[in-house]
Amino acid sequence: MTLFDRMLWLIAFRSLMQHRLRTLLLGTAIAGVTALLVTVTGMYVGIRTTLLVSATTLMSGHVNVSGFYKATASQSSPVVTGYKKVREVVQAAVPELDYVVQRGRGWAKLVSDRGSAQVGIGGIDIAHEPGFRKVITVQAGNLDDLNRPDGILLFEEQAKRLEVKVGDVLTIVAPTFRGTNNTLDVTLVAIASNIGMLSSWNIYMNDQGLRRLYQLNEETTGALQLYLKDIEQVPGVQERLRVALGRAGFELLDPDARPFWMKFDAVNRESWTGQKLDVTNWEDETAFVQWIVTALTVMATMLIAALIAIIGVGIMNVMWISIRERTREIGTLRAVGMQRTSVLAMFVAEGFLLGLLGTVGGGVVGLALSLGLTAAEIALPKSWQFVFFSERLVVSPTAAWVLFSVGFITLAITAISIIPSFLAARLKPITAMGHVG
Amino acid sequence: MHRFVSFLAVLALSSPALADMTKEELHALLVEQDERQRSSGDYKALAYVEQKEKDKADVVRELLIFRRDADDKLMLLFTKPKSEEGKGYLRLDKNLWSYDPNSGKWDRTTERERIGGTNSRRSDFDESRLAEEYEPKFDGEEKLGKYETIRLELTVKPGVDVAYPVVKLWLDKANHNVLKRQEFALSGRLMRTAYYPKWQKLFSESKKADVWFPGEIRIFDEVEKSNSTLVLMRSVDLSPLDQNMFTKAWLESKSR
Repeated sequence: MTLFDRMLWLIAFRSLMQHRLRTLLLGTAIAGVTALLVTVTGMYVGIRTTLLVSATTLMSGHVNVSGFYKATASQSSPVVTGYKKVREVVQAAVPELDYVVQRGRGWAKLVSDRGSAQVGIGGIDIAHEPGFRKVITVQAGNLDDLNRPDGILLFEEQAKRLEVKVGDVLTIVAPTFRGTNNTLDVTLVAIASNIGMLSSWNIYMNDQGLRRLYQLNEETTGALQLYLKDIEQVPGVQERLRVALGRAGFELLDPDARPFWMKFDAVNRESWTGQKLDVTNWEDETAFVQWIVTALTVMATMLIAALIAIIGVGIMNVMWISIRERTREIGTLRAVGMQRTSVLAMFVAEGFLLGLLGTVGGGVVGLALSLGLTAAEIALPKSWQFVFFSERLVVSPTAAWVLFSVGFITLAITAISIIPSFLAARLKPITAMGHVG
Repeated sequence: MHRFVSFLAVLALSSPALADMTKEELHALLVEQDERQRSSGDYKALAYVEQKEKDKADVVRELLIFRRDADDKLMLLFTKPKSEEGKGYLRLDKNLWSYDPNSGKWDRTTERERIGGTNSRRSDFDESRLAEEYEPKFDGEEKLGKYETIRLELTVKPGVDVAYPVVKLWLDKANHNVLKRQEFALSGRLMRTAYYPKWQKLFSESKKADVWFPGEIRIFDEVEKSNSTLVLMRSVDLSPLDQNMFTKAWLESKSR
């Protein structure tokens, strides 16, 4: 008999059914681990998806053309001068482009009557930001009021910290890019729900307001954010853009996979003056939060590995007990002509069947649990929101990850069952038949 | 030159028609301010900076100030509290560098940055460059407490980068000391008000004249009204300093 023999699988199945309690216990444990793996991978996908959607709306495009302008060798400003010409090159070179927006960038002190905070500022033209509305959930006020030159949007946590409500006037204090202090009185027009870490220090204001604060002309912006029809095309587009911008006569910074605000020191150390462009992607601009996804992956892997190890030891023990219980049976099978390889195959098939039944059951439970958790819209504690980039728990199981979980754990269980199966196959028929146990 | 500038300044402030002061006379007032505080040799002082901020405990910092005005050099070295010990600033050419011994890193900061996170700026500890940076305009007379003062409005000269493009100065008519200074942002908003209740002087051998310095500066943040800073200057010494001390290596060695 080989692994392809129907009889072998029938024997394995009947054996499992004969020892229902043991099968149930082991199957439940395997199902539990599978359900956990499906849920954890769902959380991983949920966080990554939320991060992608939030980050590519709040602080980065899929691909960005930003840069630095240096009036002197040691003083740089994160601006793109003459951005309209740059946009023309971008539009000609990227047919995959869905849409492109320009964003002002700044770092300033926001002062209310009751408090103050250092914030990163995004200057936006709300009329041309289709993605922004999809990500932002307005709690109070009106997003359209960001078209007012003095309009500003804060996130819930920031508004609470500064003790302000819609309609209140705040002051933004910032040095212009020439170092002269300037202020701008702004009106809070909208308060949005928090989006984890990304909303803890970012605020948004009318683009014209930002220009007034930093004394920028109409041809200057912080960055062009490109949104593609398919995000998988990012690497190709990024490379092509570098070539196209270079050919159009623009100076480019060397590739550096870090957010723009981490590049000031390096840029200031270089001796050039004037404008240099930088082409980055969304992963570069969110490199400082990617560690969360990595840490979560490592933790989940370690947890699953530990659980599989524990379950594996249990399975090995139970199969060993099963072999001892069935020693006489093995002896009889060997006496009537069953080969050692067939005995090995029979026990491996039993392990595989047990694993498959457990993991399929676990996969279904995990899937239901994941969907249930998302549907329940469980509010996350503040500290968790920071890491999960969302106010509510989002678990997004995918078919690929569910199949991976089922396949991986079934294979692990089968592999673990090989050792006791091998020991069973080595028994001599005469010894096995005479065994009293 | 120094005497001529002083003569012009005295003439300007003693004139009954202050509003009719010429551009030259007003400029002479600024030159006099710079000249009075200029030390042609070296300058060392011990300063205490007390920072008051809303919802935070008051923090007092002690720092040493080193200046070599002839070469536009300035160095600040924090000595207290323990958490700030060894931190420092060094002005090299047109750059102001800050040093943190905890990370061992130097960071270039703008010349306009707050010193040690307080409301004080580099300019509060450095030599005065009013005549070089601003155009003065007569802005009226005012009684400040018991002092009769003349008020000047200074506007930054074209092409000069300063923290505040408009500054108002209140000069004591009797002795020409600055008693009050207000600084305005580009938007015209008042940002800082500083009071100079105590002026002191020391005779400088190299300058062959007195060097004036404010013994006390009270700075009020006009945007975050509850924040203020008190700067006390102590132990001013005009003796020559080590020739090679205005270097990163020297500051790092003092931080170890």
